[in-house]
Amino acid sequence: MQRKSGKVNVNKCDNKSKFINTRSLLSIFLYLICMPATILLGIYLLDDRKYYIVSMLIICYAMIPFYVLFEKRKPKTREIIVISVLIVIGVCGRAVFFMTPQFKPVIAIVIISGACLGGHVGFLVGSMTGFISNFLFGQGPWTPWQMFAFGIVGLFAGLIFHKGFLTPNKIFLCIYGAFATFFIFGGIVDIWTILMFTPSPNVETAILVYSAALVFNLIHTVSTVFFLFIFAKPMIEKIERVKLKYGLIDTI
Amino acid sequence: MNDTFGTYHPIINFIYFCTVILLGMFIMHPIFLCTAIIGAFTYSVFLNGKKAVRFNLIFLLPMMVLVSIINPLFNHRGMTILFYFRDNPITMESIVYGIFTGIMFAVIILWFSCYNEVMTSDKFIYLFGKIIPALSLIFSMVLRFIPRFKEQLKIVYNAQKCIGRDISSGTFLERMYYGIKIFSIMITWSLENSIETADSMRSRGYGLRGRTSFSIYRFDSRDTVVSVVLIMLIILVISGILLGENSIIFFPLIKTSHITIISVIVFIAYFLICFLPIILNMIEIYILKRNKKSGDLDVSVYNK
Repeated sequence: MQRKSGKVNVNKCDNKSKFINTRSLLSIFLYLICMPATILLGIYLLDDRKYYIVSMLIICYAMIPFYVLFEKRKPKTREIIVISVLIVIGVCGRAVFFMTPQFKPVIAIVIISGACLGGHVGFLVGSMTGFISNFLFGQGPWTPWQMFAFGIVGLFAGLIFHKGFLTPNKIFLCIYGAFATFFIFGGIVDIWTILMFTPSPNVETAILVYSAALVFNLIHTVSTVFFLFIFAKPMIEKIERVKLKYGLIDTI
Repeated sequence: MNDTFGTYHPIINFIYFCTVILLGMFIMHPIFLCTAIIGAFTYSVFLNGKKAVRFNLIFLLPMMVLVSIINPLFNHRGMTILFYFRDNPITMESIVYGIFTGIMFAVIILWFSCYNEVMTSDKFIYLFGKIIPALSLIFSMVLRFIPRFKEQLKIVYNAQKCIGRDISSGTFLERMYYGIKIFSIMITWSLENSIETADSMRSRGYGLRGRTSFSIYRFDSRDTVVSVVLIMLIILVISGILLGENSIIFFPLIKTSHITIISVIVFIAYFLICFLPIILNMIEIYILKRNKKSGDLDVSVYNK
């Protein structure tokens, strides 16, 4: 029994180093070669719309390594299913509250998934929720920005709460949720608005857009804190229970 | 009305929308812009009918106007000063630039509204199922779980109602408490139930080598013709862009490139790209009509 488990561990380590290699090679290629190339191309080739197209491409490049890593890891069916259930909860949460603009539980669910299952899963749950819910709400040029913003919120939630810098209790989660919704999500998605509205962004337009979006971002922040305050504890307990009961601890 | 373009192979639909959206994002030349907006508008009305017209009037037109107004207020470049607004010069160039940006915004939104109609989620899964198997599995699982979640929600809701936890009665706090209770039950159920699904999939051999996936799309000769035409048009337009045939400079003075034979060719190519779905639909309608006529004739001959 012991020997067997030892063997499994060795295999795992091998696989892990392989993943890291592929991922880091791809990341280096994307971050150090593709991104500067795109920026240079944008400066020299596109004259008017360079900010918009370059920023959209860079956001797409930034998301690719997460997906490639997930594919390379050959995730188990159980893991895939748990992730998809969390996404379903996010999508349904967004759909149920379609009447109230900005008052959505999506970020709360993304943060909880990140905190329970790690940053990578948090990123996947966030970005896929953004992507799939837009099949119901309509895809648009805002889709990559939303995906990236949701994903980053989940990623940081994982890095902060799953790695153990902070314990995922209600108060810390609420504080992080408020910060993440207002600054990370609001900040990233409003960049889209700025770039879409003016091809030559400047400080004045940025101030205008951010002040116009202030109320919406505040409502969004309040909703995230509200949902985290209510659902954080029961949802974390449920996810932990499923992890323990079905042995998902090793896989995720 | 049925859309013929949507019945072509998904890869053609996907490449088409990527092309028109990306080209639409940065071609600012007035002729190209007009072509794009007329093409996108016609196709969206063709696809959505009255709904599209209403959406365009209520949502798109105000957005276009807003974008057009915001630009000159914050952009003071340009030579032709029309008037001063709070000591800031408002130039003609920046007003024109703002209007063009507004049209461009509308073009992208219109193309996306067509994309939402044509590129359904099953086409997306078909295209990306091979490249990103795990993620597209997540994608299709989510789409399957949503209706199941809804059904189960109804069952749980009714069961809770029976034991006196009715959301529709009681004080606000009570209602909220019951709502949260139902949501909590739903989460437990979906997590537990999903594990069963996962085990069932595993025992049926999901992820083993040599398993085929369901697909109803076939790349036939019709698709080959359209894809060759589309790729040739795309190459023409992109080479035209690289040659600077569509360039327009707004500041300090509005200046477009001269019209030459090459620029006319590039323009025609762009026109054909933007109107490709409409043209395909027209051809289909024409063929149907002709066949119907000859079919009638055949029947009448047969009857005699």
